[in-house]
Amino acid sequence: MNWSEIRPELLTGLYETVAMVGWASLIAVIGGVPLGVLLVLTDRGRPLQNALINKVIGFVVNVGRSLPFIILMLALTAFTRALTGTSIGLTGAIVPLAISAIPFFARLVETAVREVDGGLVEAVQAMGGSTRTVVFKALLPQALPSLVAGLTTTVVALIGYSAMAGAVGGGGLGDVAIRYGYQRYEGGVMLATVVLLVVLVNVVQLIGDFFVRTLSDRTTRSAAWLRAPRRTRTTVTAVASVGLVGALTAGTLGLTSEGDAGSDETITVAATPTPHGDIVKFVADNLAKDAGLKVEVKEFTDYVKPNEALANGDVDANFFQHVPFLDDFNKKKHTDLVPTVGILVEPIGIYSKSVDDVSALGSGDTIALPNDTTNEGRALHLLDDQGLIKLKKGTGLDASLNDIADDGGLTLKPLEAAQTPRALEDVDAAIVNGNYAIGAGLTPKKDALVLEKAKGNPYINILAVKKEDRDDPAIKKLGQLLNSDATKKFMEKKFPSSIPVFGPVK
Amino acid sequence: MITTKGLTKVYRTRDREVTALDGVDLHVREGEVHGVVGQSGAGKSTLIRAVNLLEVPTSGTVTVDGTDLTALAGNGKRAGAELRKARARIGMVFQHFNLLSARTVQDNVELPLEILGHSGAERSRKALELLDLVGLADKAKAYPAQLSGGQKQRVGIARALAGDPKVLLSDEATSALDPETTRSILQLLRDLNRDLGLTVLLITHEMDVVKAVCDSASLMKNGKITESGALSDLLATPGSEIAAELFPLTGDPLGAPDRTVVDITFLGENTGQPVISHLARTYNIDVSILGAAMDTVGGKQVGRMRIELPGPYEENVVPIGFLREQGLQIEIVGAADAVKDTQLVAGVAQ
Ligand SMILES: Nc1ncnc2c1ncn2[C@@H]1O[C@H](COP(=O)(O)OP(=O)(O)O)[C@@H](O)[C@H]1O
Ligand SMILES: [Mg+2]
Repeated sequence: MNWSEIRPELLTGLYETVAMVGWASLIAVIGGVPLGVLLVLTDRGRPLQNALINKVIGFVVNVGRSLPFIILMLALTAFTRALTGTSIGLTGAIVPLAISAIPFFARLVETAVREVDGGLVEAVQAMGGSTRTVVFKALLPQALPSLVAGLTTTVVALIGYSAMAGAVGGGGLGDVAIRYGYQRYEGGVMLATVVLLVVLVNVVQLIGDFFVRTLSDRTTRSAAWLRAPRRTRTTVTAVASVGLVGALTAGTLGLTSEGDAGSDETITVAATPTPHGDIVKFVADNLAKDAGLKVEVKEFTDYVKPNEALANGDVDANFFQHVPFLDDFNKKKHTDLVPTVGILVEPIGIYSKSVDDVSALGSGDTIALPNDTTNEGRALHLLDDQGLIKLKKGTGLDASLNDIADDGGLTLKPLEAAQTPRALEDVDAAIVNGNYAIGAGLTPKKDALVLEKAKGNPYINILAVKKEDRDDPAIKKLGQLLNSDATKKFMEKKFPSSIPVFGPVK
Repeated sequence: MITTKGLTKVYRTRDREVTALDGVDLHVREGEVHGVVGQSGAGKSTLIRAVNLLEVPTSGTVTVDGTDLTALAGNGKRAGAELRKARARIGMVFQHFNLLSARTVQDNVELPLEILGHSGAERSRKALELLDLVGLADKAKAYPAQLSGGQKQRVGIARALAGDPKVLLSDEATSALDPETTRSILQLLRDLNRDLGLTVLLITHEMDVVKAVCDSASLMKNGKITESGALSDLLATPGSEIAAELFPLTGDPLGAPDRTVVDITFLGENTGQPVISHLARTYNIDVSILGAAMDTVGGKQVGRMRIELPGPYEENVVPIGFLREQGLQIEIVGAADAVKDTQLVAGVAQ
């Protein structure tokens, strides 16, 4: 990838990160401040003392704090959808980010407010102030420096969380790093995003520190900000807030409207980055227009979300999985997604840095293999076919380590599928999926000791749609384009390891 | 002006109960500076906080300027509008000033006015006027952190005066200050009391404070008021601990076995008279002076003297009678096998 290709990705990623984090922070402040203040006010010996409310809020906040963000994000799908109409993309990422940031910030607010000298509360009460007055004239203004410090911490944490937004197609710099840097092995992109993220976090921290220092430094009043008359400060704050919110709104609308520009001819396809996303992009950019079709690609770095997005109508089709995987999803989630056309097979293969032939592997050797159900089964069947191990009779596609009748003295090491090529240095051989092999700079046809057969392979990656859309003309058209000669040529050139296997699939 | 009746406060914690106030009847007259003294933990702070209902008493009533505040208080920790309005008319100053560090001096003084709903122009006029009154007109734009302790307390006082209170409550307002500053703050309180007719209830553990500004005082012990009254009356009360603390006399109170030790208190016009030489001449006895002090208490001249007369108490009944006839307060503090009609106990200190 050259710089002119990287730059727009980085800019969009940067903007998406800013939009996600900006909105989530704004919502975190709106939700976290009242919660944090209530946590203090309802505590023992405080003006609104109420053990029940205090415990309930405390519990809810703790639940929010204890869930890992990625789980929260995936668990909130239905809620996000009910609230915003979609559970993917920028909007789909903002809601879970905000929901996880609210309790995080609420605890920081609680600490900040608790630190305010109780004597000040008493002073305001003694002069006839209500609880409201205590909160707005004493607690919040006095806690302001700590609140700003807490907000800075929250924003930085959100920048970190936003890296996971790619799982719901939310984009952002972290997602660019995962999709290009990690999955497409573009070292330059990885480096650029990391640098941008480091700069972003540091800028946020610097701004936060500046305000904390200015606000707490009432003795010297050296900061120009505090020397300015109050009216000026209010005006500047108001203009800045309106500007920030306005820019966020405009930008977000611009970004999100791209996705559902809504003419009936637009088909949104969810796909994992390589090769699937790139193939759909090729079709969208080169073939769709002549066919009177508009195709949008939504890249996901998660394997559950694309099916969920398809099932609930956020996207019109997806292209990342094979039939066994789809069947499993349908069964577990009670959905009715169907394959339309097959497109490619990415033969899983056995790779090694230490031996040149499968026959050289045997007792005492260690072999790494993917640890997810489908790929593990696939890998075990490949080993069985090669006579390296023996599976129990009648073992199906979902073979697991428990189904091995004879391991031939091998040590099998299950790893995250993406990690198996990286393990090559440490093991005698590794079973690697085609896409990860290419990503790691391997050429399957050349480098693999042995590959799965393409013919009769059950693991053909397919274009999936909702059952009722199977005969939709636009979907049919897209299927044809994906199965066209032009696509085949593109694939052979760009993804030599992906073997085109076209034609309808049941 | 301030009256409490049967004021009781019991703190209940999980494992024990603390009776901080145990049936306190306090009466402070209008225009008076009243001091409450007592050891740490005696319940002084609880008492003053109960006066404006910051602490809701377990039982008993508080009346300030004719209003029964306990009747206005709800039963929760939240104060209703009526009570808040009443509080706005009671100023309060604190040991640690409790100024809002995020606000300028002027904005601190304006805070009570904001609560009362005054307009911006009105607030700033009044705040500047009050700052002028406490001698800080030039510090209006400063932040509290830029002020000395004494200046901070002046701001605290200006703030307490913003609601035009008739009553000022002060909990150890000078305890965090050095003696010099303490004196100037006390002088300010005294001036405000005179010029504005302000009734002041102040809590302190320092007798010097009582001596410097109070018209009357109460002593608290274990949540109870054990003595209370105008300072001149207390000084005239045999066995008054406040009097003894105000005027500690040196000299061994027990004296020699065949001697009688007598404390004499001179008040007002008595102070100028040559009573001792008169006594010595009239009865032809050798009077030894063990200790003596003269001071101004509550604006009046007061003298105390500890003398020793030869012979046991029985032989001195007549001379002592003579002293009583002169209108002096007499207290027999030590005599060989004499009647101990008093117990001088020290220990009013924190
Ligand atoms: N909020 C509280 N909870 C429990 N006990 C308290 C509380 N406030 C004061 N006390 C207790 O009440 C007693 C009187 O305290 P206080 O009025 O502060 O005394 P003083 O001001 O004379 O030193 C002390 O024993 C103190 O421990
Ligand atoms: Mg106290």
